[in-house]
Amino acid sequence: MSCLIDLKAYALDEVTRQERGIVEDHVRGCQSCREELDRLNLTRSALVSLEDEEIPRRIAFVSDRVFEPRWWQTMWRSGPVMGFASAALLAGAILVHGFETRPAAVDAAQIEKRIESRVNARVQAAVSQAQAKQSADFAKVLDATERRFETQRQADLASFQQVDEYYHQKMARLEIASNESYGK
Amino acid sequence: MIFREVEDRDLIAKARRGHVEAYNVLVSRWEKRVFNYLLRLVGQREDALDLSQDVFLKAYQNLKKLDDPAKFPGWLFRIAHNEAYSLLRKNRPEGEMTVEPRMAEASGGLFPIESTLAVRSALERLSDDHREAVLLKVYQGFKFEEMAEILSCPVSTVKSRLYTALDLLKQTLAPINTGGAE
Repeated sequence: MSCLIDLKAYALDEVTRQERGIVEDHVRGCQSCREELDRLNLTRSALVSLEDEEIPRRIAFVSDRVFEPRWWQTMWRSGPVMGFASAALLAGAILVHGFETRPAAVDAAQIEKRIESRVNARVQAAVSQAQAKQSADFAKVLDATERRFETQRQADLASFQQVDEYYHQKMARLEIASNESYGK
Repeated sequence: MIFREVEDRDLIAKARRGHVEAYNVLVSRWEKRVFNYLLRLVGQREDALDLSQDVFLKAYQNLKKLDDPAKFPGWLFRIAHNEAYSLLRKNRPEGEMTVEPRMAEASGGLFPIESTLAVRSALERLSDDHREAVLLKVYQGFKFEEMAEILSCPVSTVKSRLYTALDLLKQTLAPINTGGAE
């Protein structure tokens, strides 16, 4: 057979659609290749007619602890568990990072002290200001009261002097009148 | 087919995580094919059964080495090929593995009463390499490239073995073919 057509590849279904078309076109016009292809197909049919035998005993495996993976191997191979572990690891890393980069406890106390001292200073200033204002107000009120008392005292004193002068004049008049009556 | 492929992938993934039952399901799907491949290769039922068990045990132990679960069939048959050839090497003297097919006997012509016996006989007359090429192609449906991976040889070698085997089978089974054609 001088034809360069791969009939075996065609019979074994190892050709592309294009190659299949070429072979089929050739076989239609070439009697020797058609006969060879028939022989190949018959041979393949004869081979395929040989049926598979049933397996005498089914093959099965039982769970054996020796061959079973350890818990960490199972975990390592499990996608969801590994994902959870990764997330937990990430969370732990964030936590550690947070603790490591957070300012030391001494610094916090110092800041607290500083804030406390500032607050105390402002409170003291406010209290001092309030006390000064209160003292000034009290002094003003006291001064006004003293002045009012002094004015009242002056007025009372003037009134008393007038009354005293009136009684002195009356007593003088009574004395003169008495002397005049006894002298008679 | 695609659905079946996905199911096999799932079973392989579970078996990798230590689920023995998932692996048993996978075995139940492939054991008949592997057993018949080995039976036609080594010729003895008990040997084929023992080899089948060894193949599936090795496959289980090495399942994590399988990179792509889609390549499981070829990978499994590669293990089966290696196991079968280990046994054949033990049972036969060195150098007898690659003997040429017995052309004289094959061309003598057979007139079997039953075509099954004739086919079985014709296959047995082939050398191990030629017979295995026919088994992987005709009975297991592997492509040339997959066969080359299973047999660890170039595609050209695969084609050469298969084409030679077909020529021999064509001659040996000629009486059957002629009879069937008539």
